[in-house]
Amino acid sequence: MTSFQRWAFCLTVPAALLTLCLYVLPILQVLALSFTEPTLGFGNYVALFHNAAIGRVVRTTVIVSAVTTVLTIVMSYAVAFALVHMPPAPRRVALFMVMVPFWISVLVRAFAWITILRRNGVLNSALVGSGAVSEPLELVYNQFGVIVGMVHYMMPFAIMLLYANLSEIDLRIIQAARSLGARPVTIFFRVWLPLSVPGLAIAGLFIVIFSLGFLVTPAILGAGRVLMVAEYISVQISSTLRWGVATALSTMLLLVVGILVALAMRSPALRAAFEGGRK
Amino acid sequence: MTPSTRRLLERALPKVFAWLLLAFLFVPVLVVIPVALTDRDYLSLPNNGISFDHFAALANWRAGWMPSILTSLGIAVASSVVATAVSVAFAIGAWVYVGRWPSILRVVLLSPLIVPPIIYAVGMVRLWSKLGLLDTWLGVTIVHVILAMPLAVLAVGASLSNLDPRLVQAARSLGARPETIFGRVILPNIVPGTVAGAILAFIVSWDEITVTLFITSRGIVTLPRKIWTSIADAVDPALAACTTVMLAVTIVGLILRMTVWDRIAQRRP
Repeated sequence: MTSFQRWAFCLTVPAALLTLCLYVLPILQVLALSFTEPTLGFGNYVALFHNAAIGRVVRTTVIVSAVTTVLTIVMSYAVAFALVHMPPAPRRVALFMVMVPFWISVLVRAFAWITILRRNGVLNSALVGSGAVSEPLELVYNQFGVIVGMVHYMMPFAIMLLYANLSEIDLRIIQAARSLGARPVTIFFRVWLPLSVPGLAIAGLFIVIFSLGFLVTPAILGAGRVLMVAEYISVQISSTLRWGVATALSTMLLLVVGILVALAMRSPALRAAFEGGRK
Repeated sequence: MTPSTRRLLERALPKVFAWLLLAFLFVPVLVVIPVALTDRDYLSLPNNGISFDHFAALANWRAGWMPSILTSLGIAVASSVVATAVSVAFAIGAWVYVGRWPSILRVVLLSPLIVPPIIYAVGMVRLWSKLGLLDTWLGVTIVHVILAMPLAVLAVGASLSNLDPRLVQAARSLGARPETIFGRVILPNIVPGTVAGAILAFIVSWDEITVTLFITSRGIVTLPRKIWTSIADAVDPALAACTTVMLAVTIVGLILRMTVWDRIAQRRP
């Protein structure tokens, strides 16, 4: 190894030590604890599959994540598709409207939704005041509220991913389809949509992964009534101190995320983004 | 339906739908502004005129908002500096080094972007309680450094991928020593990526809540933690005032990003 290469290697050492000792090891310890706490063996995993409460939590997590992902993808695709077709000036405005919620703290957004959706909140006041409904609607502290908040959180991510994907599509293909007499609806379903499949798949996987392990928004907008996996884990480690259950659930969550990432890594674009570095 | 109205519908409907969705993204965030201006002393819309009292409450030291803001600022600056330094070193080393090591390490380094933070929180509560670092400045800062590194690495890496490797070859063939090459050839050329990385690292730390929630209690109250408990209490309109200020800062920052930064970037070829 030349001295130049030795220097380069040394430069990567601090980052390596930090992540290995203070990221990888603590997570490996979580995996290990799931087999040793409180007793050695697979007891925690057997309990996971026989506990009705955990079954409900998993079901809620899957339902909320699935609905969130489908809604987010459909709505984000509509926005990204419109963004690609906008002239520069309105596009800047539209991107601004996407980036403000993207950068604002997740807590601010959850708080805003509580203010809007709660029983005497902005929306119910307006609905009751205008006489549209006689009783305030139950819009938050239930699955509806959680899904609204989560879709709102995920959409900016999905829009940016889909917009990047759609801007790469060669517009001459669309022109060719048009000049051959295809109608707009045909062009959309037979040209745009098939070419967007990679972007849709990546965005969908990201949203599923983020949703499955999401703590903040479900905890605030669900207020304990829509218990998802992350919040259940948090209760186990901060109040009931059932470390075995918490670490076993964490391990399962990590396993699911790992499988989804392995699927996503089959896409060359994503693999390049992750490995990057020297070409 | 005549063909022309049909064509109009096909063209106009998706556009209207998209702008409605953009409004769904943007407008709800603004609701914190009128709540911050309420003249009552609980979370509500203004009743008889507006009041700026709740913004004044933010500055009141005993209300706890100012100490939290300073705590978050301190931790965010410290973790941004460390995370950026470590990430710049790693990104340059990985860019120069020939072999599998950097690309494997890069995957591990970027994994906090995907691994749910709740899993990391479980691990860190365990580790910090063993090492006595729960609820300490050092404990929070280290966690924030780890969580901020991925974005810093990506930002610096983006800058490096635009750098011509022949520049390094030229410096080497002219006999420059390694420290000269890293310090005086590569580093000055990746300043924009480094600045972007530092800003992103700062924002990650400033916004971090999931892991912080578990490794702090009464001693270290960062701003997100203060907001979290304040949302749970759901009374104090100072919460709305605080989120309004954060919203204003975000909007100003974004406008600067969309105007000034682009102009600077254009000037640097």
